[in-house]
Amino acid sequence: MAHDLLGKNFTPPDVRAKVTGRAQYAEDFRVDGMVFCKLLGSPYPHARVTGVDASAALAMPGVHGVLRAADVTSFPAPQDPILTDEPVYVGQPILAVAADTEELAADALEKIKVSYEELPFTVDPLASLYPGGEEARTNGNVANPGIDLKSYKWAAKDFADAGDGRLPTGAPIREWSFGDVEEGLKRAKLVLDESFVTAGLSHHSMEPRTALAYWQNGKCILHASSQSQSFPVPGVARLIGIEPQDLVFVAEFCGGGFGSKGGAYPIVAVPAHFAKKIGRPVMMRISRSEEYAVGSARSGFQGRIKIGFRADGRVTAIDLYIVQEGGPNTGFNDWLSAADAVSLVYQPPAMRFRGVPVLTNTPPRGPQRGPGQNQIAAAIEPLIDKAARALGVDRVAIRKINAPDDSAKLGAMQGGVTSAHLREALERGAERFGWTSRLARSGKQSGSKVIGIGVGTAFHPAGGNGFDGLVRLARDGKLYIHTGVGNLGTYSHTATSRVAAEVLKMNWDNCVVVRGDSRLHLPWNNGQFGSNTSFTMTRTNFAAATDAVAKLKEIAAKDLGGAPDDYEIGDETVHSRSDPAKKLTYAAAAQRAIELGGKFDGHEVADDLNAMTKASAAGVAGTGLIGVAKDSLPRTGTVPALAAGFIEIELDRETGKFTIVDYLGVADCGTVLHPQGLAHQTKSGAVMGIGLATLERHIFDPQNGLPGVVGLLQAKPPSYLDVPATMATDAVGIADPQNPVGAKGIGEPVQGCAAAALLGAISDALGGHYFNRTPVVTDMIVNAAAGRPPSHKPLQVNTA
Amino acid sequence: MADDNDGRGYPEPRFDIPASRATSRRQFIKGVIASGAAVGSAGYLFTLAGCSREQGGARGIERMLQLKINGQVRTVDVLPHETLAMTLRYKLGLTGTKLGCDRGECGACTVLIDDVAHYSCSTLTHAVRGRAITTIEGVEGPNGELHAVQQAMIDELGPQCGFCTPGQIMSAVALLKANPKPTRDEARHALSGNLCRCGAYDHYLNAVMRAAGSGENVSRA
Amino acid sequence: MSRDMMAAFELYQPDTIKGAVDLLGKFGKDGWAVAGGNDSLDWFKDRIKRPKYVVDLSGIGELRGIRETSDGGVEIGALTTLTEVERSPLIQGRYKVLADAARRVASPQIRNSGTIGGNVSQDARCWYYRYGVNCYRAGGNRCYADTPEGQNREHCLWGADRCVAVSPSDTAPALVAIDAKMVIVGPKGERVVPAEEYFIGPNVDITRMTALEHGDVLTAIRIPAEWSGARFYFEKVADRQTWDFPLVNIAAAMVVSGAAGSEKIDKIRIVAGAVQCVPRRLTAVEAVATGQAKSAETASLAGQSAVRGATPLNYNHFKIPLLQNLVTRAIRDA
Repeated sequence: MAHDLLGKNFTPPDVRAKVTGRAQYAEDFRVDGMVFCKLLGSPYPHARVTGVDASAALAMPGVHGVLRAADVTSFPAPQDPILTDEPVYVGQPILAVAADTEELAADALEKIKVSYEELPFTVDPLASLYPGGEEARTNGNVANPGIDLKSYKWAAKDFADAGDGRLPTGAPIREWSFGDVEEGLKRAKLVLDESFVTAGLSHHSMEPRTALAYWQNGKCILHASSQSQSFPVPGVARLIGIEPQDLVFVAEFCGGGFGSKGGAYPIVAVPAHFAKKIGRPVMMRISRSEEYAVGSARSGFQGRIKIGFRADGRVTAIDLYIVQEGGPNTGFNDWLSAADAVSLVYQPPAMRFRGVPVLTNTPPRGPQRGPGQNQIAAAIEPLIDKAARALGVDRVAIRKINAPDDSAKLGAMQGGVTSAHLREALERGAERFGWTSRLARSGKQSGSKVIGIGVGTAFHPAGGNGFDGLVRLARDGKLYIHTGVGNLGTYSHTATSRVAAEVLKMNWDNCVVVRGDSRLHLPWNNGQFGSNTSFTMTRTNFAAATDAVAKLKEIAAKDLGGAPDDYEIGDETVHSRSDPAKKLTYAAAAQRAIELGGKFDGHEVADDLNAMTKASAAGVAGTGLIGVAKDSLPRTGTVPALAAGFIEIELDRETGKFTIVDYLGVADCGTVLHPQGLAHQTKSGAVMGIGLATLERHIFDPQNGLPGVVGLLQAKPPSYLDVPATMATDAVGIADPQNPVGAKGIGEPVQGCAAAALLGAISDALGGHYFNRTPVVTDMIVNAAAGRPPSHKPLQVNTA
Repeated sequence: MADDNDGRGYPEPRFDIPASRATSRRQFIKGVIASGAAVGSAGYLFTLAGCSREQGGARGIERMLQLKINGQVRTVDVLPHETLAMTLRYKLGLTGTKLGCDRGECGACTVLIDDVAHYSCSTLTHAVRGRAITTIEGVEGPNGELHAVQQAMIDELGPQCGFCTPGQIMSAVALLKANPKPTRDEARHALSGNLCRCGAYDHYLNAVMRAAGSGENVSRA
Repeated sequence: MSRDMMAAFELYQPDTIKGAVDLLGKFGKDGWAVAGGNDSLDWFKDRIKRPKYVVDLSGIGELRGIRETSDGGVEIGALTTLTEVERSPLIQGRYKVLADAARRVASPQIRNSGTIGGNVSQDARCWYYRYGVNCYRAGGNRCYADTPEGQNREHCLWGADRCVAVSPSDTAPALVAIDAKMVIVGPKGERVVPAEEYFIGPNVDITRMTALEHGDVLTAIRIPAEWSGARFYFEKVADRQTWDFPLVNIAAAMVVSGAAGSEKIDKIRIVAGAVQCVPRRLTAVEAVATGQAKSAETASLAGQSAVRGATPLNYNHFKIPLLQNLVTRAIRDA
């Protein structure tokens, strides 16, 4: 369909609040009688709490209580607990104390005597896999979603066979393959066998996950920091120990999440439990060092890849092994997603994947922007460059020849995709960037400075289905679009809502986006993660608006005669095709819907809707014409978001510093819904990519488990001066056939492609020196340029 | 409303909120602003316990402070170890200034002191008595007219999650006051003490340049 | 790790130097002087340092301002902010190396409140020490960084002596390069200490970074006329281009004669930061370069001489080529 609204910029309704300081995040709320709680975090990387004496603290006037693990919902290890008596990382919350003031709570914490039994710990997955090596937990060192906690060891011979610098490849926990990998490697002109490391790093969302909770009439009201609005409700309710309908979840504004606040997370339940225990509203202000501890982080990889290439650069086979450093809890499946990503981006005719997810006594891991996909892009893309250099093939050409298109296959099952246009993204970008002419400058020196040119690509699955939409035409003639989409900063809550307006041919000025508070009768939506929103919630809004259109036509036929198909919509009326004067305004139709009741005004809804949507529909029933439906549009195959990045840098060999001269990011995200929003994501993804590639990492002292990178100064997220002053963006813009408006998501691969391009440019500037590690920090560049070895051992993790 | 809930004989400030009162806090703040009355220290963030209560002289500073905030004089009971960020957020109801790190490492707490950008988390409130403090709430005009920087931020879609936005705007306002026609490079240096984890730097700079009216490098999206 | 609320202290705001000195002398080890507060407040929020009495120097007018001295030099009040130093026409005109150094400190907001006195007097940044472990510098009896697997990438190349932390200041090397003098007022009156002697290493007193003792206040920094208008070089290499402390920095002042293309270095002072617990005056480089042509060859020789005797730790050997290169650039590009 031709679009009136989609593809155009708009002023999102929440921007004004953001620029005037009126936007309220969790820590901005105040409730009468509010008390403060503070957390006591473990000083040890692994310990058992053998005793807690809080008597002195509880005796202080104004201290209201102490909350311990036994007071809150618990789950079987190694799920991330709310509070614990067996901490498995430094900073893990053991207990909380509540007091009239935050300072009093801090003073009270100091008076609580905790005794510990120190337990063995590890910050090195390979050491943990070695026979006799320490394990992160008392009953195991390996776990992941779907993989029960257990103790797992390789053989000493596995390590001996690998030698120094190569990842040992002991028995894997998971393995899959397709095609004949051995044959593929045999017939290759070039085989690379490379081991690599990618560092774990903290999300460090700008807003620490402070939460405020209180109870009223049997319900828990929770002001939280959440990327998503509807999606976390059942999970958070479970954490608190209540039914979803008894939770009021307010997440109107969220100061960043990057995957760490996409669903329910345990610490958010502390003030809810505490408020119930002491009968007072409880504000839990999370400090930056606490956000480091509980605010999630990316999994690290120690990996090895064998890739075979034909003379023209076409991949013949891939053999990938990943040992994941997954924190101390169940963690996330980056290692599996990384393998899928490699299978998609390079389309190997044959591939084997093996992996082991190992636990370490470090902060818990969860999804971080392109979890698996982006760090593997940073690791593998430079190796594609290495192969291109060895084969004498152009680096854009080698990516094009391997690029996925509509016939692409993904993963172990070699399933299909809905659409893929990475080749077009590469072509479009190469032309706009001037790839060929810039390449002529590659390696050009002036003084100590040398030019480096780079290109990178990345992928993320970008869409789901099966969620619900809910819209309401009210008697004031306005369209109220109820969205369960959260507000993490992408404005997708409004961009996807505009689909409903588009379908109903509304004037956007007559539309209201209803969001941000579970009391506002919101539908069940997917969470804001996984780059899925632009695909998934355009469908839900399409479904709900389509339902409304059908009802409009039925009402018109009832009142004005004929059949529903005799009618069409336009100018915010439903009117006869043959005689447009025969019409009902939307406002009049809303009134009629209320009079007719039943399905028209939301009193009767389809049975396949989620319980949350049914409750929300019931909440607005009788207030207008209700469009409510589950997205049952077909979806077969994976929806792939793809991106390509192009970069020119000037690197100073004497200091190890570089400046980014130009960057261009090109998205394959189907139809562009919101040009300003897409430009935002492409550029800001690049900023995070610069951090992933060259600045950010965890460091731990292996002798005592102490964390060397905690706060923002130590974590080094990129500043204004670490990124170029301007960046350019573009989009392929080819509609995806499985989305009613042709859209796909995009938020994640725009980071990976930038990280990959930058690493490629650094290696290019250094004449083809490959680090096989992220981040590539100043030390490494200085050493490489000076012909000195790096300080770290090749497979060392969590290290400077 | 004046309850001596402390029981220690210290003269309670007039509009202290006792712990269990049901009065709306917004009404309270409005009342304080309207009456110009003092804001107390009991409750919220800071404890009275262990704090010297004598006024001035040999035992330290006088706790009651006159602060000039957004053009108004506010009288506040400020503890010695209280930071400006905490005073603004927890005693004066000005929650637009954010705490991102409380360590001077992110800039979310940036306010202007005599038109110069400072980290309010790293400023003892007592050290800025008598200085003119401007927060994000004081940037707009008296009738809610947006400052050029604010309008530009909307037009260029500067913010993403919005948490760093007040601090970015304060730094931009300070920049344009001192240097009304900055180059893009000058703007990026001026804002270099403001972190954006979302990475919205490009759009923020577009907004600053637009507000400066230069037409340079404004987005074409 | 549950930190982030300062413990209560009493606050004093004297308005004279004498008032400050009297108070600090009275309070002894229970007292603490605060200038801009950027360094101090972090310690207090972590509750690692917990003074009973804090003396806020920011109201002392005598401690501010930049003025010419009678001998043609410049005196900078210790509480002059880094922004003021950076922008001072006097400093930019005569001692540009100091303006350049001040500009590279931290971030604009920190420079707006941070003072030059605070910048040179700041405490070490070793992450173990800042974490709060009971190391030698904290009064304990071990070092965590100088251990077989200690994560010590930011630590020293020389002068390890039960502590391997480095001098983190950007202005300190510049001040040593221009032979600044530090004016200290204490209980026994005023004394003037050459910048080089202001900074002390662990062999002198492992618990402090400077010559200041309890009751002392750094009141001013006097820069003699000798290096006014000289040829200067300042460069800082750090992980990020804002906020971050130096991995290595270099400050050089030289007097150069001769025509362009055949210049000669008549005299030179060159100082490196972040490679030792004090700003490291590179006397070997000065010896090599004095009287020599200001050429690529001299620069290269100077760089090599700068790193002789460097003893790297586990993770900081990159500082050796980095220092070498910075010295080379200072001579070559100044």
